[in-house]
Amino acid sequence: MREYLIRRILGMGGVLLALSLIVYAVFYLAPGDPAQLACGLKCSPAQVHQVRAQLGIDDPVHLQYAHFLQGIVTGRDFSTGTGVLHCPAPCLGVSYRTGEQVTGMIVDRLPVTASLALGAMALWLTLGVGTGVLSALRRGRWSERLLTVLTLAGNSVPVFVIALLLLMLFCAQLQWLPFPSYVGLGEDPQQWFWGLLLPWVSLALVESAKYARLTRSSMLETLAEDHIRTFRAYGVGERQLVTRHALRGALTPVIALSAMDLGTMFGSAVLTESLFGLPGLGRLLVYSVNVIDLPVVVGLVMVTGFCVVLANAVADVLYAVADRRVVLS
Amino acid sequence: MSRVLLVPRRLAAAAVTLALASGAAACGPKSGSAGSDAQPHPGGTLTVLNQNPQNRFDPARLYTSGGGNVPSLVFRTLTTRNRADGAAGTKVVPDLATDTGTPSADATVWTYHLRDGLKFEDGSPITTADIKYGIERSFAPELSGGAPYLRDWLAGAADYQGPYQDKHGLDAIETPDPKTIVFHLDKPEGDFPYLATQTQFAPVPQAKDTGTKYQDHPVSSGPYQVVKNENDGMRLVLQRNPDWTQESDSQRRAYPDTIDVQAGLDPAVINQRLSTGSGADAAAVTTDTDLGPSELAQLAGDGQLASRVGTGHFGYVNYLAFNPKSKPFDNPKVREAIAYAVNRTSVVNAAGGSSLAEAATTYLPDQAAFGHTPYDPFPAGATGNPDKAKELLKEAGYPDGLTITLTHSTSAGTGYGPNLATAVQDGLKAAGITVKLDGLEENKYSQTIHTVSTEPGFFLSGWGADWPSGGPFLAPIFDGRQIVTDGYNFNSAQLDDPSVNSEIDRINKITDHDTAAGHWGALDRQIGAQALTVPLFHPVYKRLYGKDIRNIVISDWTGVLDISQVAVK
Repeated sequence: MREYLIRRILGMGGVLLALSLIVYAVFYLAPGDPAQLACGLKCSPAQVHQVRAQLGIDDPVHLQYAHFLQGIVTGRDFSTGTGVLHCPAPCLGVSYRTGEQVTGMIVDRLPVTASLALGAMALWLTLGVGTGVLSALRRGRWSERLLTVLTLAGNSVPVFVIALLLLMLFCAQLQWLPFPSYVGLGEDPQQWFWGLLLPWVSLALVESAKYARLTRSSMLETLAEDHIRTFRAYGVGERQLVTRHALRGALTPVIALSAMDLGTMFGSAVLTESLFGLPGLGRLLVYSVNVIDLPVVVGLVMVTGFCVVLANAVADVLYAVADRRVVLS
Repeated sequence: MSRVLLVPRRLAAAAVTLALASGAAACGPKSGSAGSDAQPHPGGTLTVLNQNPQNRFDPARLYTSGGGNVPSLVFRTLTTRNRADGAAGTKVVPDLATDTGTPSADATVWTYHLRDGLKFEDGSPITTADIKYGIERSFAPELSGGAPYLRDWLAGAADYQGPYQDKHGLDAIETPDPKTIVFHLDKPEGDFPYLATQTQFAPVPQAKDTGTKYQDHPVSSGPYQVVKNENDGMRLVLQRNPDWTQESDSQRRAYPDTIDVQAGLDPAVINQRLSTGSGADAAAVTTDTDLGPSELAQLAGDGQLASRVGTGHFGYVNYLAFNPKSKPFDNPKVREAIAYAVNRTSVVNAAGGSSLAEAATTYLPDQAAFGHTPYDPFPAGATGNPDKAKELLKEAGYPDGLTITLTHSTSAGTGYGPNLATAVQDGLKAAGITVKLDGLEENKYSQTIHTVSTEPGFFLSGWGADWPSGGPFLAPIFDGRQIVTDGYNFNSAQLDDPSVNSEIDRINKITDHDTAAGHWGALDRQIGAQALTVPLFHPVYKRLYGKDIRNIVISDWTGVLDISQVAVK
């Protein structure tokens, strides 16, 4: 087990290192000059040169990358003009555009994206697994067909269409809900909930379809297995049979899929964040790419990459818990 | 097995009940609703719904025209724009200063005196030393982002790196006493009072300067102070500055008690929220989101909504640019043929229709303040004159037509995107000119067209003025001394005509704006005859505002509703 963990952690580090290298490389091949953008298009060449020196981007690329790696381990100091800004380890650098610490920018936005992703996942698992189980148990009946059609419909509509429809219906037409805006959970839990309800529902409607289909087929497969037949023969009640035995077996692929989805949600819920005005990581990423803010982009890729890798590691452990036949090695 | 589902079902039912309850609250009577009279009253909260975050909220780093909309609520400057509707709003008026400045005979020395009773948000008095320091720190490479004029104009400032590296400061700015400030320029600049509206002319107390961190809480000299700045301007909350007095400020009305700027929103959502106007959105405006053609069509059917659309003009021109160093555009007849062939009706349609774009034959915007002088050296009519274009092409040695490439941005809705390129392509086709399109990603497009070594022969471009005057419109584009060979170049025709250069110098000496405007107009006409650009259209801005918004002022300087004048009660 210990060997497994060490291997896993080393692997994670390798993935993150490779990610940061790729982003650095892509940025130096892509067009546009971050110093010119930070300074303004009308800046004179001499002034752009000063800004370039101040941002530290007149150093050779490999040296810049070395500084970046060093910052993660030991931290770095940056000039604010009037003083020194100490960026403690793990320091991901400061934004070219604003001079803010990247770690701070990410930490500020992480709760927003985490609230969105975790809440949406709770909802899509409830909806998806619930309908999946129901349609497995009601196979062939009209209610199963209806559920199939509904989940397919949910899966075929893009998230921005669902999001806009929900906004129009509940906020503009019926005015049952205020237009969402993000309020921190610590600030006001009730407003946090109402602000995130529609984003959760939009994401869950799109995602849950996949889970419903997966749970249904996986459930049917498990229900047909020998041990279930044996349990039934021994007289185990149908309710217990489904909740304790069949569902547990059917959940393993669901866990693997949700881990991947949750991880990617951290960097790619851009449309949902944008439509609902949530100041999350996805929005920051798109904005930073547009203004060639390399430290922010690298930092975000590292953090979202970390989330994906971590979620997968957690899924592997849960996999073993749900299905005792799985051995971590 | 049905037990499994019982819990979610119950939850769902509870959620619906809760949703209904909250809806009822949202629809209830809002406290302190608008009075029945149309007069503006103080109080309430103005919500600003924007796409772009109000980031780099530091007076040194902001690049504004006339001091900006939100920034102008916090930063007062030596002069400012006149807060009035239409053309009257293009005038420059005193703000912290007692007048718009006293020039020396050749307009190289400008002297200002401060009003009485000016205070920062901490109650300390505003002095000219604070204004000098504010300008000096805008030269620091840490605080880049502002307009380039100060560096170009102030005597001996070209290589200055700001007070963090050079404590001595700029000799070009003198403060003989706390209420007097004198600027020494390298060359005559009659437009100096217009430059003094930009946020770099806002006072910054040196003791409170925190360098790149200053943007989190800049010290206010205006009617509002920053109480919250989250995620670098994604959410900015401003509240009344108790040390600002209406008597000391002739321009800002500052009716609301609180301004709540919420950024990072999708344009469709912003316009939907403004039209629905539920809750706080009834007292909301936007300072950066225009209505598109389809939204305007929807609004047209609803009189109540249509009455809440503000229309504004900002000095901007979208044009076709030539690189006359590149074949076949070195031949004036080819450029003239293209000018004749352009179908401005389809171009205007591609830009969103006649309510969002006005066809243009002049480079200068259609406003007196810029010196607009009507001219049309190559009358193409509304839909182009292909016969005349063919005739010119024949004279130029292309009797069988011509194949050229038009470079444009791939970003839609920019005024130089694919839809406009296609409209130009269609028009030129009728004249036997085959146009191949070369779409570039936005950043690459910008870099390519503004770099002398990579500049294409024929491309879509645009120019907006930093203030309503002919100078900042014509000089960067046509002054030969502003050609930049090792950086961003805006003189895309690479025109270096001694007569144009000396005329620009001559007009820059004129301190009377109306007199100067007439000369800028004449110069525009003279340059226009060379067909170095083909003006296409001047954009029009349409923006929706909430139903409780009163006292709407839209100047021709900014083209958008001025939030320093808005009342919500």
